Amino acid sequence: MFLAIKRTFKESLKSASRNIWLTLATFLVLVLSLYFISIVYVATFSVSGVMENVQDQLSVSVYFKSDTTEKEIMDAKDDFQKNGDVKLVEYVSKEQALEDFKKNNANDSDIIQSLEEIGENPLWSLLSIKAHDAEKYEGIVSYVESSAHREKITRINYAKTKEAISRLNGIVRMIERVGLTVGGILSLIAIVITFNTIRVSIYARKKEIAVMRLVGASNTYIRLPFIFEGLLHGLVSAITAMLLIFLTIRFLIPFVSKSISVENVMNFYLSHIFIIFAIQVGLGIILGVLSSLIAMRKYLKV
Amino acid sequence: MIKFENVSKIYKEDLHALEDINLEIQPGEFVSVVGHSGAGKSTLLKMIYIDERPTAGEILFDDESLITLKKSKIPEHRRNIGTIFQDFKLLKRKTVFENVAFALEVCGEPEKEIQEDVPKILDIVGLGEKMEAYPEELSAGQQQKLAIARALIHKPMVIVADEPTGNMDPDSSMEILKLLLKINKLGTTVILATHDKVIVDKAAKRVICLEEGRVKCDDPKGKYNVK
Repeated sequence: MFLAIKRTFKESLKSASRNIWLTLATFLVLVLSLYFISIVYVATFSVSGVMENVQDQLSVSVYFKSDTTEKEIMDAKDDFQKNGDVKLVEYVSKEQALEDFKKNNANDSDIIQSLEEIGENPLWSLLSIKAHDAEKYEGIVSYVESSAHREKITRINYAKTKEAISRLNGIVRMIERVGLTVGGILSLIAIVITFNTIRVSIYARKKEIAVMRLVGASNTYIRLPFIFEGLLHGLVSAITAMLLIFLTIRFLIPFVSKSISVENVMNFYLSHIFIIFAIQVGLGIILGVLSSLIAMRKYLKV
Repeated sequence: MIKFENVSKIYKEDLHALEDINLEIQPGEFVSVVGHSGAGKSTLLKMIYIDERPTAGEILFDDESLITLKKSKIPEHRRNIGTIFQDFKLLKRKTVFENVAFALEVCGEPEKEIQEDVPKILDIVGLGEKMEAYPEELSAGQQQKLAIARALIHKPMVIVADEPTGNMDPDSSMEILKLLLKINKLGTTVILATHDKVIVDKAAKRVICLEEGRVKCDDPKGKYNVK
């Protein structure tokens, strides 16, 4: 058994180097397939990752009437915190709100001037509520509206947020859907092309297969070198594709668009590098080995 | 040793490659199978090394049925049979030595025996000096000798030769025949399918003639008699 494996391995390497063009073609097709599929998926998931980040920055602001005391607001805060869908409630006093407002508009002399003219703080204290899940804001709003504190509430700025949320949700879903569809189509094309390339390379060696049969080699023995080759192709292609993807993220993205953050995509890529690699190697090997086995069936019949 | 009982092979509905063949070949015999192209010679030979299965009938090899032989046992069966063809079926990217060694390697023979046996066999067929050459550097006759060496390497019980001298000049053909007769003399059964009248007459051994898939004649000391 060991002898057989040693011989087939030697044989695989030899035939790979002898059929160098076919080997290269198969290898290239595999690399390109894996590369494009991965790029589409990495892009899709990192974009939806970014979108989720944005969603994370959403919140509902509950503004309190000017005569509400801080204690009353803190009571309300404790109350809202009890709702299971609420992740975080943040208190912003009206003094703090004014500071923030001034800071944000420091460059706009008109606004600063009009603030000074008013003389007193025109802003309200507010509680900023964040939900665990963007879909839960509606529930939280009605919870707030029906709470005992509603008398002191002057405004809930949910409408704007609501629109933004649903638009974002829509975009994320659309990107995921498009990405998955494109990735799926690419995968299919890749499978067909890889299968055909491997079939051609086996066709080129059908004489060798015929001779092996004639001299009494078992089907397993005939298949082994091809399976080894499939494995080898899968492994080398996956490694190469990983490298190409890395280079693409590092150098191509900044070149193509400044609005996509390299860091975000790279972070996603690096944090998922093992799973991506595993999927690629798996896909590469399955494609290589399965195509070989199917393509060889014809030559191994009695 | 080889027995055909009512063997038929039908490819399509109207294409009868073989019809109701009954034959028996004894160990150590030298048999020439003659007939026009399409008479069924190759099909008959293919059944022996199970490249084709009959549509009906029974084939016995050494008293064992080839019809019920399991697929996994076919490679083992083929090691009992050396095959030789008109187109040699050599691997042109392997040297003379490697072409023969390959037949042993794929059957899992240890390296030591390969190194010992291959040169011996190449000496027998007269290619001892050409071990490092590639098939393309050899003449047609030498290539066929190489194919014969490969066929012999398993010490088979039977040599099946399908038009081994096609496309060969008369001198080379005669050398191949001599080699086959020598092999036969050493005890190996030889079954030779051919068009070559000179070869068949020169051999002066048993002749089976096929016509349209049927056995037309079977002479123990025959001549080439296809019109």
